[in-house]
Amino acid sequence: MRRAQSEGADAAEAYVITFTSRSVYIEDDVPKVAEERSETGLGIRAAKAKRVAFSATTLASPADVRSAVGAAIAGLKRVPEDPDFSGLPTEAGKGEVRGAWDAATATTDTAGLLDAAKTFTDAVRGSKATSVPKAIVRIQEYTFRVANSNGIVANHRGTLVFAYLTAKCGSKGKFGEGIVKAMNTSIRPIDFAAHGATVARRAAENLRARAFKGKLPGVAVLDPLDLGEVFLTTVGSAVNGEDVHKGRSPWAGKVGADVASAGVTVRDRPRMPSGLASGVADDEGNATQDRTLLEAGRLKGFFADRKHAALLGVPAGNGYRRAVATVEGAYTRPAETEPSNLVVEPGRKSLEALLAEVDSGVYVEKFAAPEVNPLSGSFAMEVRNATLIKKGELADHVKVALLTGNFYEGLKNVVGVGRDLSPSHAFLTAPGCAYVPPMAFDGFELVGQS
Amino acid sequence: MSAAVRALEKAGAGFGDVRTEDRNAFVVRVANEQIQSVNEVHRRGWGLRAFVDGAWGYASGTSGRSADAVQAARKAVVIARRGAAAGVPPSKLRKMPSTAITLEPKVRIEPRDVAGEEKVAAAMEVCRSEKREEVANTNASYADSDWTFELANTWGACLQWREVRIRIAGQAVAGEGDRRESAFDFRDGTAGWELVKALDLAAFGRGLAQEAVEMLRAAKPPAGLMPVVTDPGVSGLLAHEVMGHASEGDEIVKKRSFLTDQVGKKVGSALVSMYDDGTYPGAHGSIPFDAEGTPAHKTTVIDRGIYRGFLHSLETSGVLKARPTGNGRAQDFGRRVWVRMTNTYFGGGRDKKDEIVEETKSGVLTRKWISGMEDPVGGSFQAVTQSGFRIHKGEVGERVRGMTLTGDALSILKSVDRVSKEIALDGGTCGKGEEDYVPVAAGGPYMRCKIVVGGG
Repeated sequence: MRRAQSEGADAAEAYVITFTSRSVYIEDDVPKVAEERSETGLGIRAAKAKRVAFSATTLASPADVRSAVGAAIAGLKRVPEDPDFSGLPTEAGKGEVRGAWDAATATTDTAGLLDAAKTFTDAVRGSKATSVPKAIVRIQEYTFRVANSNGIVANHRGTLVFAYLTAKCGSKGKFGEGIVKAMNTSIRPIDFAAHGATVARRAAENLRARAFKGKLPGVAVLDPLDLGEVFLTTVGSAVNGEDVHKGRSPWAGKVGADVASAGVTVRDRPRMPSGLASGVADDEGNATQDRTLLEAGRLKGFFADRKHAALLGVPAGNGYRRAVATVEGAYTRPAETEPSNLVVEPGRKSLEALLAEVDSGVYVEKFAAPEVNPLSGSFAMEVRNATLIKKGELADHVKVALLTGNFYEGLKNVVGVGRDLSPSHAFLTAPGCAYVPPMAFDGFELVGQS
Repeated sequence: MSAAVRALEKAGAGFGDVRTEDRNAFVVRVANEQIQSVNEVHRRGWGLRAFVDGAWGYASGTSGRSADAVQAARKAVVIARRGAAAGVPPSKLRKMPSTAITLEPKVRIEPRDVAGEEKVAAAMEVCRSEKREEVANTNASYADSDWTFELANTWGACLQWREVRIRIAGQAVAGEGDRRESAFDFRDGTAGWELVKALDLAAFGRGLAQEAVEMLRAAKPPAGLMPVVTDPGVSGLLAHEVMGHASEGDEIVKKRSFLTDQVGKKVGSALVSMYDDGTYPGAHGSIPFDAEGTPAHKTTVIDRGIYRGFLHSLETSGVLKARPTGNGRAQDFGRRVWVRMTNTYFGGGRDKKDEIVEETKSGVLTRKWISGMEDPVGGSFQAVTQSGFRIHKGEVGERVRGMTLTGDALSILKSVDRVSKEIALDGGTCGKGEEDYVPVAAGGPYMRCKIVVGGG
């Protein structure tokens, strides 16, 4: 940072992150591959008047610092001015959020991961004719420091556990597969045996599922894992200050308007204990704060990084570069406006109670890919683990069908909010984590062959 | 590298290799004609792997000290032994001849020789050209990457190569009241600045704006099983997501693929041929060598409707007694090798696109893909398109919003009854499950087949 200023920058910011990662890959029930990796990197943001440039490098020696600073300073000469740049943060978050870093997880070695993987595999194989074709269990421990020429210094350390778990059953060319993901800041709360039982059940149901024929309008009850990803890409974009400023958000200019059912309250909670994206400082160093985005369906405000906070007149604190499934590559990009922990206020009903209230509809545990157009809200997602609901009871398992509708319209037709939150993420390197419960939506339609 | 290879051997690895990577990238993002970021990124490191009695141990790092790499080599062997002790059945690798080769990319204008100002200006011109009254938000980006690899292994290989890629993209977002619709497109490849020079940037941007505005008037797509004329990008998704992923040798070894026992059997109509070709000139997924040092290869996956075979790494070649196909790839030095595709596409036929539409009474024509999802186990297909058009009585009708296509892949391929001469490939990145992204391309001809369609 000092070097950048000595070479001509008015202002500079340095972000250094170091991480260690350990992974085990299960293939055909056995730990086929195990790995350990470590990496340290530096991201430099340099500014001169309204010109801003960024460079990043793997950090292995002082020469790397010199080359990264040199690249950022050279960049200042070729970038046009950014009239919206309003300087670097002036106040840093201090301290730690409880549970963001877990000592026992940080010291778990590959032998410990093998034990966890074996617990999962044993649970799957305990089910009839089921095997684990593929599973990944990974632990990361990371530390970052961000400092800028305004004199702020912010530090953060965390641990991340990510598990991608599958099971397969069937024979003679006819197979069914179940998939679950588990994410936490600590490995202890993850119940690998329970996940094994869940994926085995999903695999068996997937094998029994029949192609759905015709169309079924009604209530759709969605499992939290894929629903969380949908929330991140839709609500997470609609309340994103950068998207609002650029004119991309469908909720721009709607603060105070009802955009969802009264049962829907959404908060950004960077100070949530044990949250995957929790921290007292964001990746620019800004002090974070929990804030309400939707309260009882009414839009209350937006979140933003330093630049867009100044443009929109909202508090800063949402400038992120690290993702929650892995922090690799975080230093290679500047901080941008992103959610931290996007939390849907849970209701009081169990999943069973939500299902019992549905006269006719579908319960979707897994989509092929939970993708919704973040601009328009329209979607048509192929169901992979889905079960029809008839008079409050789960009935036939179905596949080769699309759940279609508009998610922004669906938010106005929420007919049930479950009580149990689960974390999910949108994309490997995308910052932000959603904590959502199972929810029931009216107005979507299941479409199959006709 | 040689010290690390020796350390792998000395520690007891049955096979081992070391790969170093030096990755440089230049990325520009602009929005609403304002610069968002100009990033110059340099990333380098090394990854080692040890093969012991069927199990793999990996260790990687970024240190420049030889002693650290030697220590990591020993660690990789310890990790592999731990896996072997946990019950991994023994397996053999298919041994490749040891070679010493250095390859340079076929690039006419090296991106590293082009001034950053020119790259910024190119992105800015696309963004500026998207501007018109109905467009609420304009976006463009430019990125080039220049990666250098070195690989040595315990069989004596000593390889060095470079991969250069370039990409320019735009997205226009049209707005009307609360409604937002967008159009996105890009050009990319294993090429140099000549790819950008050949593109009419202003026309590219204006086209996106026009399409985004048209999307505001687009109708809801029809729903149900119907004739679909897939454009080359969507044909590519069918090739890549279902038939490609299910042909990856590791999925066959695990019997996780619905194609496991299909070699020699009919999987599509006689009009369907499919290839994976890492040597395809200029395509985004082209590579000189894979991450194991095997030269890139053109593999016939489907020949006139008959399924011919799989894609391989050194290990799956050994297990399935086949020739390595140059498909052992890794996201970067810190990540493991999997069997991965390169450029995957259906071959062309005899028809013209317009003739295919003229002979379709009712259905849809797809327009540009957004994403797809694999299902090697079940063999079902999902593709999301940016938009499309209704076909009525042999004519292209009204535009429809983005739609999702789904169905059983083999049923879809067996229903193919018209295939265009022209084919095209689009670049992108591909994950295995949801991680380990590598550059690939996918494509094919316009194809008419029956698919379940739906959209919101």
